[in-house]
Amino acid sequence: MKIAKVKITNFKCYEETFTLNFNEGLNVIVGTNESGKTTILEAVYLALTGLLHGRPLKNDLTSYLFNLSTQTKYLQSLETASPLQPPAITIELFFSGSTSELAELEGDGNSEKARCSGVVYRIEFDEDNFRGPYEELVKAGALRSIPVEYYTTTMRSFARKGITARNIPIKSALIDSSSTRMQNGSDVYVSRIIRDVLEEKERAAISQAHRKLKEAFVADPNLKLINERITHAAKISQKAVSISVDLSSQTAWESSLMTYIDLIPFQYIGKGEQCVIKTKLALSAKKNAEATAILLEEPENHLSHSRLNELIADLTQQHGQKQIIISTHSSFVANKLGLDHLIVLRGGEVVRISELKSSDFFRKLAGYDTLRLALASRAILVEGDSDELVVQRAYMDAHDGRLPIQNGTDVISVGTAFLRFLELAEALKIPVVVVTDNDGDAEAVKRKYAAYDGSPTVRVCYDPDVETGPLEVKGKPFNYNTLEPQILNANSRSVLNEVLGTSAETDDQLRLHMRANKTECALAIFGSDRKIEYPDYIKRAIAP
Amino acid sequence: MIGDNRIVIAAAGSGKTTYLVEEACRIVDAKVLITTYTESNEAEIRQRFFDLVGHVPANVTIMTWFSFLISHGVMPFQGGVFQFPVRGMVLVQAASGIRYKNRMGIGVPWPEQDTGRHFFDPAGRVYSDKLAKLVIRCNDASGGAVVDRIARVFQHILVDEVQDLAGCDLDILAALARSRARLLMVGDPRQVTYLTHHEKRLKKYADGGIVAFLRNELPRKVHVEIDETTLNRSHRNSSVICEVSSRLYPSLSATRACECVGCRKNVGSATVLILRKDDYSHYLDRVRPMQLRDKVTSPGVDPNSPSMNFGESKGRGFDNVVVLPTEPMRLWIADPGAALKPQTRARFYVALTRARLSVAVAMDWGDGRLPEGFSLYERGAEATMAGPTGGR
Repeated sequence: MKIAKVKITNFKCYEETFTLNFNEGLNVIVGTNESGKTTILEAVYLALTGLLHGRPLKNDLTSYLFNLSTQTKYLQSLETASPLQPPAITIELFFSGSTSELAELEGDGNSEKARCSGVVYRIEFDEDNFRGPYEELVKAGALRSIPVEYYTTTMRSFARKGITARNIPIKSALIDSSSTRMQNGSDVYVSRIIRDVLEEKERAAISQAHRKLKEAFVADPNLKLINERITHAAKISQKAVSISVDLSSQTAWESSLMTYIDLIPFQYIGKGEQCVIKTKLALSAKKNAEATAILLEEPENHLSHSRLNELIADLTQQHGQKQIIISTHSSFVANKLGLDHLIVLRGGEVVRISELKSSDFFRKLAGYDTLRLALASRAILVEGDSDELVVQRAYMDAHDGRLPIQNGTDVISVGTAFLRFLELAEALKIPVVVVTDNDGDAEAVKRKYAAYDGSPTVRVCYDPDVETGPLEVKGKPFNYNTLEPQILNANSRSVLNEVLGTSAETDDQLRLHMRANKTECALAIFGSDRKIEYPDYIKRAIAP
Repeated sequence: MIGDNRIVIAAAGSGKTTYLVEEACRIVDAKVLITTYTESNEAEIRQRFFDLVGHVPANVTIMTWFSFLISHGVMPFQGGVFQFPVRGMVLVQAASGIRYKNRMGIGVPWPEQDTGRHFFDPAGRVYSDKLAKLVIRCNDASGGAVVDRIARVFQHILVDEVQDLAGCDLDILAALARSRARLLMVGDPRQVTYLTHHEKRLKKYADGGIVAFLRNELPRKVHVEIDETTLNRSHRNSSVICEVSSRLYPSLSATRACECVGCRKNVGSATVLILRKDDYSHYLDRVRPMQLRDKVTSPGVDPNSPSMNFGESKGRGFDNVVVLPTEPMRLWIADPGAALKPQTRARFYVALTRARLSVAVAMDWGDGRLPEGFSLYERGAEATMAGPTGGR
């Protein structure tokens, strides 16, 4: 029993239907801030439980749940001759597995008309009850937001039957940094997790014990004495005044019992520890009839490096049959949990590293650079460290001394793996600029990047003119078409001699020096007080 | 795997419902559906669970045949047939979905292709007589997904009063029999008192032809065991009542009275009586029987004493019963060869088998010899029929 897929429509940042497939075990959703990671976790939890921020959403509907552009389109349409229907939020969860409980949820009542088991959670206009009032409202023409007061929430199985969270055999534990408290101050989520860990029999036993406790309290002779005194003293009326515990059956034990950690109430222990304990509790559920999905939001937020390591070890080693969905913007977490499980999210685009053609390459590469690209808002891809330094300096010179990263542009050296990184960038629609030498064959470079001709997000900058000369190194012709000779072309020998601290007497001497000391030269250029000129293709690359 | 399917042919008063409930309680590790045609019988099944074990077990679902067809037959896989939501069901007594009446006054229905109007009323409720047909359509359109899903949701499907099912209902039973689920049906072919379907499909198996249907229409490899012994003893009726009532269905094996001490302790001289019209009010006064009648307007009913229609009394038991027969029933008493319409026969059978102590047929009788098993009521004889009338 697993969540195979989620489809989200009109909810928060997702306007068009957003679809995300999940792995059976570990799922790591990576994305920058505002990329919609948390919304995915919230949507999954909402469809499984009907809860948002620990409270039944039914009672807390607001128009802010709706996608802003959906709302705008709808409101604008009301002024026209063809008004749109009131928009609805839809979250669909597709389940995989073959138990009898899942068969009950099976049908073709989903947007794909597929024969599958799952649930549809909808926040929609309550047409049966409010058609009349809505008509009046629209006629009055004063609508400034979606009329959520006429909205209702529904939870249906794919068999089109209205269901509650109890009918869903997949239980979920949401572990986030928010703290939603019950009336008595105990944390909503930890109470739910503990309840879900227990077997039906154990829950009944606790419920019984709790009832007995309350009854024993009421039966205590001291209480009786006190109540007599109150009645006597209160003389409000002829009726008896007494104190007692709340005996109504509505007060379930979960809401009146508190979770303690080493005798300290759960909500008073450190945030990081809370996160670890919730996760461990959720991991420990062993029930057969029910599956558990653990939704973990940005575990890096409250944890020290070593605690984070521990948690990650637990997650990777103990998850067993459980499905785990983690959102993170820490490349450390993502890298530790393995690139195979990585789902990169960006502006509604989803890329699984495991599905890229270059997945083998990225799997072997230490993941930091991969994630740097995935998380960057713009990137300049260069071949090596020296290119990186020169491009950075060129950028600073052109942008009032600000580093590219300070303007959201990451300069990443990718060695010879340009095409692999471009595949990732293209899939995520990340604006990237490739800065490359023509290596003496501009036509070959053009052919290599032909696939990105006219791409709205990928620009390839290289020198279209091939330069040749008489210089030879160890019997082979010198390559005049790399960065260093090009820099020399853009500047005079004397300028470079000053910047590099050299005293070359001929251009060829300087060419050979720069060829042999690439990184030192780049460092010198980067750190120099004197601005130099840059080859044309570099200028194009850093132009906004 | 084809389930271990079985149909149990039950005698009136043999404890069908109790048997089903006990069977259901025996299943602990799988999901059980118990379904039946009427709401009153559904309530009876629920009540029987509370009587026997104090609760309905978590793995048992009780629902009427119609609810079952809507929620598990239509809604899960309606997508291949129609898109609008089902807004419940409307019970129809006559042919439904009529487009117009032709010159002869015969209703011409909307064609089947017009799903929205053939199967549904304008409020979006499905016509009760076409519900089963719609289920078959959904199942076919989804490549058998409907039945496949049901068999995975419920590993055991128990059907009470299976004789009430007809038409496309039988197709659904057949499909369930072919599925992985185990199908256990209980019913009495003698008690088909309602005409629930107006369609022509499988008409020859209406009126209690369920056994013949299972024999003739299922492929050989789908085995349904036909059990005529487990429930052929009546705990309610005496042997005389069994003997007389079984005569209505000579082709079926006769029912017998249960001989255990528990069943027989109240029955002194359980009898089948002919009650002359002149003695009617005297008898009512002394014995206080339940009057069973054809319909509310039937002549001869004492409005001041309790009375009930034949059909309504199905499933109920009374100590003493007086039957107000229709003309064809009277003729049958005189001559068992006389023709009876299937429904009349069924209702008469139901009426005769309601009694625990005595059943009287109110009709005058000439000088001729009484039929076998009958005796004539004489004033003063009521003393031997002790006990007030009670119903259950």
